[in-house]
Amino acid sequence: MDNNLYTNLHAEGLISDESFTKTMLREQEPVLFSLHWEIRTLLYIGVLLLTGGLGLLIYENIDTIGHQFVLGLIALISAGCFVYCFRTKLPFNITRVGAPNSFFDYILLLGSISLVTFVGYLQYQYNVFGTHYGMATLIPMLALFFIAYYFDHLGILSLAIANLAVWMGVTVTPKELLLHSDFNSQTIVFTYLALGLILVFAGWASQCFNFKRHFKFSYQHYGIHVTYIALLAGYFLFYDSFAAFGWMIGIAILSVVMYNDAFKNSSFYFLLLVALYSYIAISCLVVRVLATAGDIGAIYLMFLYFIGSGIGMIFLLINLNKKLKTP
Amino acid sequence: MIAYNKTWLANLRLQQQVKDNVERGNISHDEFNAIAEKYAVGFYSPNIFVRVGLFIVTCIIVLFADGLLSLIAAGGNIAETGGWAIFLGLLSYGALELMINAKYHFRSGVDDALLFTAGCAFIGGFAMFLHKTTEAPGFLPMAILVFLLTLYLTIRFADMLAVAVCCASFLWMVFLYWTRVAGVSTAPFIMMLVSGAIYWSARKYGSRKEVINYANCFGVVQILSLIALYAAGNYYIIATLSVEMMNQTGPVAFGVLFWVWTIAVPFVYIGFGLKQKNAILLRTGLLLVTAAVLTFRNYYHLLPVDVMLTIAGLALLSIVYAIMRYLKKPKHGFTCAEPDKVNALDHLKIESLIVAETFSHTPTAPANDGAEFGGGDFGGGGSSGGF
Repeated sequence: MDNNLYTNLHAEGLISDESFTKTMLREQEPVLFSLHWEIRTLLYIGVLLLTGGLGLLIYENIDTIGHQFVLGLIALISAGCFVYCFRTKLPFNITRVGAPNSFFDYILLLGSISLVTFVGYLQYQYNVFGTHYGMATLIPMLALFFIAYYFDHLGILSLAIANLAVWMGVTVTPKELLLHSDFNSQTIVFTYLALGLILVFAGWASQCFNFKRHFKFSYQHYGIHVTYIALLAGYFLFYDSFAAFGWMIGIAILSVVMYNDAFKNSSFYFLLLVALYSYIAISCLVVRVLATAGDIGAIYLMFLYFIGSGIGMIFLLINLNKKLKTP
Repeated sequence: MIAYNKTWLANLRLQQQVKDNVERGNISHDEFNAIAEKYAVGFYSPNIFVRVGLFIVTCIIVLFADGLLSLIAAGGNIAETGGWAIFLGLLSYGALELMINAKYHFRSGVDDALLFTAGCAFIGGFAMFLHKTTEAPGFLPMAILVFLLTLYLTIRFADMLAVAVCCASFLWMVFLYWTRVAGVSTAPFIMMLVSGAIYWSARKYGSRKEVINYANCFGVVQILSLIALYAAGNYYIIATLSVEMMNQTGPVAFGVLFWVWTIAVPFVYIGFGLKQKNAILLRTGLLLVTAAVLTFRNYYHLLPVDVMLTIAGLALLSIVYAIMRYLKKPKHGFTCAEPDKVNALDHLKIESLIVAETFSHTPTAPANDGAEFGGGDFGGGGSSGGF
């Protein structure tokens, strides 16, 4: 663009001769146009289309002669993908292992999804697992976790976490959480709480035992959302009883633990989540207190509370960010 | 003109340019620090997570502050008028100017949120105003007002969301005006002309030195005008509009022309994108191929959807595989290697989250309803990267 920039900086003595030559050499190289993200997106869409198409193909031909052919096709695709992955993968290590090429990631994804579809289809059509419905979701889940660890694939780890949730009878992805969850049942709230704690623990364990440390983010991401939402849901479920405050104490403990952890790993994302969820929890308590007063003055106070606390939150976030940057 | 400090904006650009070279290892960190000291930037612009957090919190504050004021004003019968909304918008706007000029916020979440709420309040106020005062309001005055408002906000704040609304409302205005004056049948051609002209001028004038602070706005304008140019000739859109506005059913006049347009334009975009090495053209073209396929499928069912998806998936994977083999070593200035810039969102591991979101239904596939798959919901264009 403007090479004058570096000439000027050089003249002002801000960059050394060596850096200046290196930069100028780099600027003279022809700029390569990278198709990296286009290719990744297209691969992703290709996998999406293919697995979607196969899923529909089974669904529509489920009672016809063609279904054995489809089943065979899926098995073949899955096996083919895994053969490819086994042959090209880099050796296993407990730390991060990169993919040999970008194609690898998507072939592995295709193989895993077709494997899961295959198992699901077997159960539906041939009742391989009989009435042990838990088994029908447990097997794919274990397989996915194994694949995720063995080939070091974050996307499949997320799939495995989603499957863990399915196996426990709930969902974890944010969209599903908001759309379909029924938080009015005690069992569901407790299941979510257990799931969330398992995930948070798994995140902690990944780091502590230094086993696939970079998986921590995925575990913690789902774990922290699910735990906070379960705790808040529990608070509202037991709103009228004294137990409600137990749930609030749970939120407080979680916040403290996560706050320290976020600082230790200097991750502002988790710090932000802690701040926002804690803010929601505190606001729930304040609104509750004000609602008991129940006159117009309380409503004014509530508005003032939100304005004041919001401004407080701004300063808090800005300061936390500063504190995180300068340890 | 632009509300932000221009020297700092220039320094920010300079720092970013130098930072690219720091990441490539050509310039040392000490040198960068010296440069950053000399060409200082006084803005408060935190990372993306802080920005999102501040955006949410600021929206809460504005919401409750407006609520409190409306509650106080509710007795006087003015809180339901358009003027009140505009007054609240002015308050947000005032706060925005204050935050930028006194606290030097720049893309910090606070200014984004205040701009967003101010824009919404103004537009809401206009809508209430027009609805109250005129008998048959029509959308033309609304489009003009929204266009003028967002044009001002764009010039003042160079915000990407504002420029997107500005561009859309301009096209809407032209469309409404033309259909009122000259009728619907010629509207597609006018819209093609207008959006083509917008794209051409955005390309031509967007790289000038005088408008360098608006570089990302011109990018948004290019994306939107390309999409509008395509939409103006898309068969489905034209058929739907002619049914809605003229009650004319049956095949569209010049149908062949529009079919050619529907199918060919995305590929023309992709072709030019590759030829000129222009990412905007290329990506918009790729996105619009989806639109072309969906339009085609809406009228002609050559194959059942499942077979088509399977074949399309296989074909796509093999084509991309071939491209990757071909580009193993960079050819003709193209490469498929990762660009050496690190994206801030990479820290969120977006890709793995998307995988979980789209595929989380698969395990129970046959027992679940198969319609869950389909997979029509990708892309999204990123035209509204406002915050």
